[in-house]
Amino acid sequence: MSTETTSEEHTSERGLVDRLFASPFLTDLLSNRLALIGLGIIGMLVVVALYARFVMIGGLTPDLTPIVSSKLGTAPSMQGPCGSSKVGQSIQNAGNCPYPFGTDIQARNIFDRVLYGSWLALKWGTVTVGISTVLGVGLGTLAAYYGDVTDNVIMRTMDVLLAFPSLLLALALVAIFGPSLTNAVIALVLVYTPRFARVVRGAALKVLEDEYVDATVALGATDPRILVKHVLPNSLAPITVQSTLNFGLAIIDLAALSFLGFGAQAGTPSWGAMLSEGVNYGLLSGQWWWSFFPGLFLAVTVLGFNLLGDGMRDALDPRMRETVD
Amino acid sequence: MTSKRFILKRLLLLVPVLLGVATLVFAILHLSPGNPARVIAGARASEAFVQRIENDLGLNDPIWIQYGRFLGDVVTFDFGRSYTVRQGTPVSTVLQTFFPTTLELALLGQLFGILIGLPLGVLSAVKQDSLTDHFTRIGALAGISVPIFWSGPLLIMLFAVQLDLVPTSGRLGVAYDNPEITGLITVDTLLVGDIPAFVDAAQHLALPALVIGIYATALISRMMRSSMLEVIRQDYMRTARAKGQGAKITVMKHGFRNALIPVVTIIGIQFGSLLGGAVLTETVFNIRGIGTLLVEAIQSGDYPVVQGTVLLFALLFTLVNLGVDITYSYLDPRIDQ
Amino acid sequence: MTDTSDSTAAFRRYLRASARLLAGSALVGGALGTAVYLALLVVGDGPRPASTTAFALGALVFGFGTLGWSGSVFLGESVESAQRFLDTESNWTEAGSRRAMARLAGAGAGAMVAVALLGSVVGAL
Repeated sequence: MSTETTSEEHTSERGLVDRLFASPFLTDLLSNRLALIGLGIIGMLVVVALYARFVMIGGLTPDLTPIVSSKLGTAPSMQGPCGSSKVGQSIQNAGNCPYPFGTDIQARNIFDRVLYGSWLALKWGTVTVGISTVLGVGLGTLAAYYGDVTDNVIMRTMDVLLAFPSLLLALALVAIFGPSLTNAVIALVLVYTPRFARVVRGAALKVLEDEYVDATVALGATDPRILVKHVLPNSLAPITVQSTLNFGLAIIDLAALSFLGFGAQAGTPSWGAMLSEGVNYGLLSGQWWWSFFPGLFLAVTVLGFNLLGDGMRDALDPRMRETVD
Repeated sequence: MTSKRFILKRLLLLVPVLLGVATLVFAILHLSPGNPARVIAGARASEAFVQRIENDLGLNDPIWIQYGRFLGDVVTFDFGRSYTVRQGTPVSTVLQTFFPTTLELALLGQLFGILIGLPLGVLSAVKQDSLTDHFTRIGALAGISVPIFWSGPLLIMLFAVQLDLVPTSGRLGVAYDNPEITGLITVDTLLVGDIPAFVDAAQHLALPALVIGIYATALISRMMRSSMLEVIRQDYMRTARAKGQGAKITVMKHGFRNALIPVVTIIGIQFGSLLGGAVLTETVFNIRGIGTLLVEAIQSGDYPVVQGTVLLFALLFTLVNLGVDITYSYLDPRIDQ
Repeated sequence: MTDTSDSTAAFRRYLRASARLLAGSALVGGALGTAVYLALLVVGDGPRPASTTAFALGALVFGFGTLGWSGSVFLGESVESAQRFLDTESNWTEAGSRRAMARLAGAGAGAMVAVALLGSVVGAL
């Protein structure tokens, strides 16, 4: 019995990988130029984030003011970015550019802060989407497997949550439980979980209808084993699509909450908080770089996730694949 | 066709919707750890003072009595008095003052989105995989990826600061009188025939409405494209296409109507995200509307205002979807109430 | 429309079925509410916070159910088409959702009533 189990597990594992490569999903995805661009953007972002977190952070305090400023001299505040014709042209010229994106009112290097912001964005995006995925997968499989009353209660609750606009629900929750990054994440998890639950339930139902699952049940397979071995692998692709699309959403929603002052604390080098400072204090007085660069990174990142997510969805959905003659 | 009974039935549904939202708000406020009396009294007030406020507000009554009183208040649109806005202004008055601003903004944005988004979506679908299609799709994707609180400042920098074409913030220049009839400033100035004031108000509104409009356009054109594609793929459309150009145009018209049905319903649901967008837009452009009011009420712990705003948003969302329902029943001949 | 007597009979049947459904879930909710209230009474710091929390929890379920019920009636069509575009198609039906939400609302209301009654008794002791 035991040897049989291991060999069976082995084949199912290989089956999964084989299936993934044999399916038109991956080839379709790879032939989608836009999706590849999205993938490229995300890849670069990951590299930048890791660099900022593990290499660059060395000489900086948590809010990214240089600890030792002797080498650069005292940083000028409100310094324009390199090549800008506005402030401090004499200091910043080609070849010598310590502040490529300029500095803010506290003389902090915006370039460093924006790079570090990508680490924060990825980190909190991963946390939000990760928790939503786990919860959604759990609820979706439970609903599909037990059906009837369990299914109804879980999925109808998800339906109602799905109808709430994400930013407004998040604002309401933050209003009640107090503004903090944790509460912002909890609110967004509440908003995103239903989407995963739906997708997983749909995929799980399809698997459970298959005869071979009936056969395994007849052979005495227990509930968790069926879920892990048959249901999860089959819902992997739709889950990935949802995760990718929601990752972009999570980053933009978290930044929006920070922008309104309900997410990351002021002074944190998160894109949303930087944008808020830059818009409030630097926009009308002409320091455009203060809000421009954090926003640019935010927009490009979200675009990357949306491009990849859209491409994946098209590759997954056969209806989208056939073209009209 | 749309009968009065159908509309009446839908209007009656407002009662359970608002009861549900009000009850939810009540429940969550009572489950949360904060003490409203403490907020009113201020952090340094004495315990005795806090208790006096608790008594005044009836916070010491059993919760079911508080619930009953709360529902009674909601029915009479009495959300209590604001803790922070000008020393105890009734919340209903506060909402009345701020609401038209947000309504004007959201409606204009929605209108922009429908007028531009629908044609773009159809064009993109009809010319699938052409250059037009690619541009529209990428543009729409960029439209939902670029956050309002970045595109807004960019537009301010370009059109207001650099080119000086429009003002940077607010609703009306100080030189003009706000007639305050409906509260919709562009409508009001036209009503009293003050053309210069109207032009000024329109200039103030141009950028914020554009920012929301771009977002709405992106959402709607994406939905319209996929809905239209689905319709085009159906068999009768293929046959008509094969028959030639004349039939093609007739069928396209027919297809447009069919494709519009699901899109109209989604526009209603998406109105919620648009309200969220209005909150951000008001913050960026420093416009005093419900959005900025909500943000400030949250920051200062002004629960009555938060409650009132949430209920108002729910009411608005429901009414918009009622409008959508009515449009829908005109579009879809199968629905015959 | 059609025969009036026929439609009133159908309406009565519908009302009876709805009442049965609501009463059943209210009983379940009442029992749950009582259990939560008693448990909070034992572990919590007094009858007032216990009744407040138990009642508010009931209200939470009631409010959610009511909102969900009206939402399903209201947005039934919209949700169905929205699901198609979000690629989350399921065998969602308006009727199923309405029933489930009515159950929730009934249970919540039952819990609220039970806690209010029990709380008044405990408060009077």
